[in-house]
Amino acid sequence: MDEATLILIAGWVAAILRSATPLLFVTLGETLSQRVGIINLGIEGEMLAGACFGFAAAATTGDPLLGLIAGGAAGVVLSMVHAGLCIGLGANQFGSGLAVWMIGLGITSFYGRAFVGGQVDASGSLGGSWLGDSPVLAQLLDNLSWTALAAVLLVLLAGFLLYRTRTGLAWRTVGEAPEAARAAGLSVPRIQVSGVLLGGFLAGVGGAVLSVDYTQTWAQEMTKGRGLVAVGLVIVARWNPYLVLPTVLVFGGAEAAVTRLQAGGFVLSSHVLASLPYIIALLVVVGAYAWGRRGSGMPEGLKGVFAVRGS
Amino acid sequence: MPTLARHERLAGAALAALAFIIVALGFFAVIGEPPLATLLSMAEYAVGDRYSLSETLVKMTPILFCALAAIVPARLGLISVGAEGQFHVGALIGTGMMLWTQPFDGWLLLPLVLLGGAAGGALYGWLPGILRARLSVNETITTLLLNYVGVLMVSAAVYGPWKDPGNLGWPATIAFPDAAVLPQLFGTRVHAGLLLGLLLALCLHVLFRFSRWGQSLDILKGNVRVGRMMGLDYRRHVIIVMALGGALAGLAGIGETSVIQGRLQPGISVGYGLTGFLVAWLAGHNALLAIPVSFLIGGLIAAGDTLQLFNKIPASSATVLQGLMFATALAVPGLIALWRSRRG
Repeated sequence: MDEATLILIAGWVAAILRSATPLLFVTLGETLSQRVGIINLGIEGEMLAGACFGFAAAATTGDPLLGLIAGGAAGVVLSMVHAGLCIGLGANQFGSGLAVWMIGLGITSFYGRAFVGGQVDASGSLGGSWLGDSPVLAQLLDNLSWTALAAVLLVLLAGFLLYRTRTGLAWRTVGEAPEAARAAGLSVPRIQVSGVLLGGFLAGVGGAVLSVDYTQTWAQEMTKGRGLVAVGLVIVARWNPYLVLPTVLVFGGAEAAVTRLQAGGFVLSSHVLASLPYIIALLVVVGAYAWGRRGSGMPEGLKGVFAVRGS
Repeated sequence: MPTLARHERLAGAALAALAFIIVALGFFAVIGEPPLATLLSMAEYAVGDRYSLSETLVKMTPILFCALAAIVPARLGLISVGAEGQFHVGALIGTGMMLWTQPFDGWLLLPLVLLGGAAGGALYGWLPGILRARLSVNETITTLLLNYVGVLMVSAAVYGPWKDPGNLGWPATIAFPDAAVLPQLFGTRVHAGLLLGLLLALCLHVLFRFSRWGQSLDILKGNVRVGRMMGLDYRRHVIIVMALGGALAGLAGIGETSVIQGRLQPGISVGYGLTGFLVAWLAGHNALLAIPVSFLIGGLIAAGDTLQLFNKIPASSATVLQGLMFATALAVPGLIALWRSRRG
């Protein structure tokens, strides 16, 4: 391959990774929550709250890092409602998630109005003089912020924690066999709450990355179902943090490819284009059910709440 | 979910209402409004006079249909959150019927438009239904994703081929002719769709309670394997309830589009689908109870609009209150169970 092709590919990879970073955080968060046996549809509201309050913090302080932290905190606060309802009080997980989503939707459009149309500076790019003079690396790294790197590292870290540490073993046991976990002296509710709150934190950070880093602006309901797409992608990634990375990247790649079709002469209505993420997510979820063994990789503890009741 | 005895359920409902009022007062205090005065104005804006009451009934109509759209699948234990998308596709196909038959302008127009709405919604419920029946794909996730596609389909139509050039760039179709619109009642915006909704709620309640179909749903909801041994076809029932639920939401969509909006355009729904789901849940998936609950939530939304107009409180406060109401209702049974176990 000559250098021009490499530069082109580097540009593509950077574009895909850049647009997929928010979804990486959110999907990883939902994976961890579901690994301890709790489905969180409220992740949509948590992501939205992260985007709103993260943007607000970044716009007021001028510091993108503070924005990400504030976004994560907003996600944690909302996920506490979910944890309280379904772990503390035994409420239905789907219902509780939708309630959290609704609260997030309402609060962000209530408090977000003041920030609509504002602008912030993005966090720093990975590029710089330390790269030397490789145009391929420059093309790749100049277009990526450190949040993309952080997302990839977090995926690896989460995989390591879950499969290689005692804590991870405890988490997996709680998700797979809560009874056995209880018998082994683990505090099931405590571990489940940790999973949900960590998931909420990651969802909030993902939302903040979207508003502070990617679009650099805030708009009402700007996550547009990205959190719900993440819930679908968790199934495709078979509840495995390591697989979250390729799943989200393939999803982002497919989305980018179809978007590029338009540049190649296919004229598509912008509304058709906007519906592609959902259609692609739907297709990969259906594909995961059709070609995978049913519910494979699903934590046993989830099966009671999830699909595997009938047929 | 913790199960409660009948008298505990009644006490629970009262407790949930009380808890919600406290939470709502807290919310008004947090946003810096006089809590009690604001709550009282909301009640007044919801049912205080003839006009407020009629606007509450206007909002209640699509909510009731969308609640029924969630209740029907729930009778089989399915969690369908797809009313928003079915609402939009119903509006789309119903409007298509109007555009197609409009030159003929006869008595047949209205039934065709309504049928189109129901058929569009049914199709959009059938799709996740068949995916659930054939491949066990979780219906909650598919319906949630399909919602966004349905909304965008309406946008694509009204920004694209169906845009009326006479609108000077505003993305909307031509207006519905009078012959294609349900009659309005008492000289208000309330329309015959409300009566249809009430009738359907009643019919569904009777069917759930007394028909063989209702019994089959109860059995299959309790235990699919037992149902199978009794010769019941689970897959067929899944497809039927999903399509029927979709048809109900589709009717809401075409009713709202033709009567209230007068034309297909973006923003025909202000989250009626999700609100309907909430109502279904609060009503304990009881079709009859959905009537008072959708009246209550319709009042909340109508009052939210008036609150924005007169008290300069954003209408999104109604969304926050809905979310808080849902959370409170979910919390109360658990709190009662907790209290019961403490007492031993």
